[in-house]
Amino acid sequence: MASSRRRWIAWAAWAVIAIVAFGGMLAIQGRGGERITDAQMTAVATVGYQPPPATSAGRPQGGAHVHLPHAPTPLWAPRAHAAPEALDTQITWYSLQVPPLPNRGQQLYLYIPRWKSDGVLAIYADGKLIRQSHANLQWNGSNQPLWIALPRTATSHPPTTLDIRLQHVRGIGGAFSSVWIGDYRQLAPRYSVRDIFQVRLPAFSTVAFLATGVFALFVWFSRRAERIYLLYFLTSVVCFLRMLHTFVGTEPLIVSDAWFGWLTVNSTFWMILALHLFVAELHRVRQPRLTGVILVIGGGWSIATLPNLLDPTMIAAPIYVNMLVLGLGATFNGIRQSLRAGSHFALLLSTWCLVTVVAGVYDLALQQNMVDIESVYLTNFTGVGFTLLFWYIMLSRYIEALATATEAKADLAQRLVQREAELTASHARLREIENRELLHQERQRLMQDMHDGLGSTLVTALRAFENDRATNLDAVDILRGCIDDLKLTIDSMEPVETDLLLLLATLRFRLQPRLEAAGVKLLWSVGEAPPLEWLDQRHALHILRILQEAFANILKHAGAREIAVAVRVEGDQVVVRVQDDGRGFDPARSSGGRGLANQRRRAEAIGGVIRWEPSGQGSILALILPVQKPQRAIAIRT
Amino acid sequence: MSSHAASSTPLKVALVEDDTAFQEAFRTALAGAPDLAMIGVAATAAEARVMLSAPPADVLVVDLGLPDGSGIEIIGEATTRWPGCAIMVATTFADERHVIASIEAGASGYLLKDSPLPTIAQDIRVLHGGGSPISPRIARQVLMRFRPDERPAEGGETEGKSAPSLSDREKETLQLITRGFSFDEIAELMGVSRNTVLTFVRRIYAKLEVRSKTEAVFEARAYGLV
Repeated sequence: MASSRRRWIAWAAWAVIAIVAFGGMLAIQGRGGERITDAQMTAVATVGYQPPPATSAGRPQGGAHVHLPHAPTPLWAPRAHAAPEALDTQITWYSLQVPPLPNRGQQLYLYIPRWKSDGVLAIYADGKLIRQSHANLQWNGSNQPLWIALPRTATSHPPTTLDIRLQHVRGIGGAFSSVWIGDYRQLAPRYSVRDIFQVRLPAFSTVAFLATGVFALFVWFSRRAERIYLLYFLTSVVCFLRMLHTFVGTEPLIVSDAWFGWLTVNSTFWMILALHLFVAELHRVRQPRLTGVILVIGGGWSIATLPNLLDPTMIAAPIYVNMLVLGLGATFNGIRQSLRAGSHFALLLSTWCLVTVVAGVYDLALQQNMVDIESVYLTNFTGVGFTLLFWYIMLSRYIEALATATEAKADLAQRLVQREAELTASHARLREIENRELLHQERQRLMQDMHDGLGSTLVTALRAFENDRATNLDAVDILRGCIDDLKLTIDSMEPVETDLLLLLATLRFRLQPRLEAAGVKLLWSVGEAPPLEWLDQRHALHILRILQEAFANILKHAGAREIAVAVRVEGDQVVVRVQDDGRGFDPARSSGGRGLANQRRRAEAIGGVIRWEPSGQGSILALILPVQKPQRAIAIRT
Repeated sequence: MSSHAASSTPLKVALVEDDTAFQEAFRTALAGAPDLAMIGVAATAAEARVMLSAPPADVLVVDLGLPDGSGIEIIGEATTRWPGCAIMVATTFADERHVIASIEAGASGYLLKDSPLPTIAQDIRVLHGGGSPISPRIARQVLMRFRPDERPAEGGETEGKSAPSLSDREKETLQLITRGFSFDEIAELMGVSRNTVLTFVRRIYAKLEVRSKTEAVFEARAYGLV
């Protein structure tokens, strides 16, 4: 529904444009103005170029009556001479009778739609020179219609005769269109329409194309892999070079006729090459052979027509024929490949190339004066079409890239969300595993502890009570021991946060009542201790048990009066010393093996060492702990 | 400080405890101390509330795990009903969570349930005399609660009284406790009397209680309850 409506609007727009154009044409036709189509023509053979005289008095009288526009049939390849001063030239005179015009004192103008001098133009009104081309000899803006304000001082007004002098290469040029005379209101619309469509539109279009080409070049600078941008730029450059001759030349050119002719004629080959490569880039089928053929032919002509070799201006016609054939071949190939590759853009361009080739045939006919010379060169308009087509292609690519970028962004965001969810899930899973592992370790630790400590003490007591040896046992002492065990277990469940001294303080807090009950004095000399990064709950319990065992041994066996606990930092170790003044014992000979073995095992499990140091009286137990994380403790689980 | 031990009027002691074995032990401990008189026992929170409407005791010992409620609530109610009464929480392990919660509710000490009977009586006397026991872990916990960076100073300032903070001496005392030094050793290390150290601890407990109540108001205001 929406598309059919859009189509309707498009058709309506075209209809409006057609009506406006038709109406405009009618309006222009209705403006009036005199069109002079009768002339007397004479021709004089000359050599080289002479400046036009100030008056037309010296022109040969008589001559043939011709009808304007008049175009002699040109030679396909006139005899060329290297030096302009030695060139075979010819002066063609056209003498026009101006029909009597009412002299209302208004400014009069001459409007000449086309002049094909291929040489120098001079216009005389009532015998006096009023206008001459003063740019290059051959490339002198002859595509541009003439608009001449008739001077009122030097001539009669309105003039009665007009003389036109064309000095041109013998065999080509010398063609002239009809001449319009009238006031501004009558002639300006005719001139303006022709000027706009024949000169300005192609000029604007090709300059705009070149501007976007430069833009594409800068795109290519940052995206070297995408050759299409470079080809776009090159195409725009050769199109610009080719179109130059349609809108420059009224002023002297900065290059000679020879070089300008070389550029203008050969740029058609370069255009074919650039278009061929661009289309190939679109349909993505490389054709090295065809490219080679274009290069050889185009390159051959480009070299052969370099200045001082063949004169391209003279032999433009055969070159254009050759170019048309080559262009047609490349075009058909392009259409075939586009269809095969299904490339919409390549097909569009190739089709337009075909249109251009057909238009080129017409333009060649116009150039050779085979059609009305007052008509226009069609390839100028197909050039505008190329500009629009290229813009369309680039715009589509740009829109497509934008869409892709938007899509990619959305895709990326979606993937990011997805990845984030995955990460969160995996993190949660990991934490769960970690928690389970921690719980498991903690359970293992407590079970081991119960098994070694409380459990075994209770079982021993139970057996003793069962065997009626209860009288030999201090039941209260056993139970207090069990409760102390339990308290230390509970203490070990709270984090100590790397604080060894807090751990030792806790131990003292728990054991103090028993020591007091036993009448043992405790000397507490703990200084500073660095934080032990590895000191977690598991390690804490080991340390508590080792020292608890040490105290228990002293109380049970040593008969000590005093126990000194000292903490010192020695190098990269922290040493906890428990010294008593009791009977002392030799660990090597001691039979109470299980307690000592347990102490050793626990010390080893936390990466520490336990040592009995010599002492004058009593014994010294030293628990040596590393400040840094012990390596072995990781492997050994309790 | 133990002037009460010799005084003619014995200290009135009340117990809130559902475990009859401990009740029995407690009775026995007090029976052996002529300066301590048992004036009431409650086995449930409900009974305890009834007891709190009676004339106050000098020392109230509360067990936390009551069949019909938490001993913490009873401690909180006792501080308002019996303002002059010294409250202690009966605990087996003196674990810092329970003890600190009790102190914040208004208790000023704890009683270890497994202590020998004479020690129980002695602990009651000491508490009434102004001495509060403190374990290294409790000391550590209190230090952490009062860490200045833990809470912005805004709390309670609108009321004109900010949450109390610890003095340097009090902090030093706590730090020495976390390193395992006894009250006597701390007194010597700091060059003060043992009594002063005990006063520090009692003051610290009081500040903990005030701080906890200010915090409760502060939090209630933050949640829009007050």
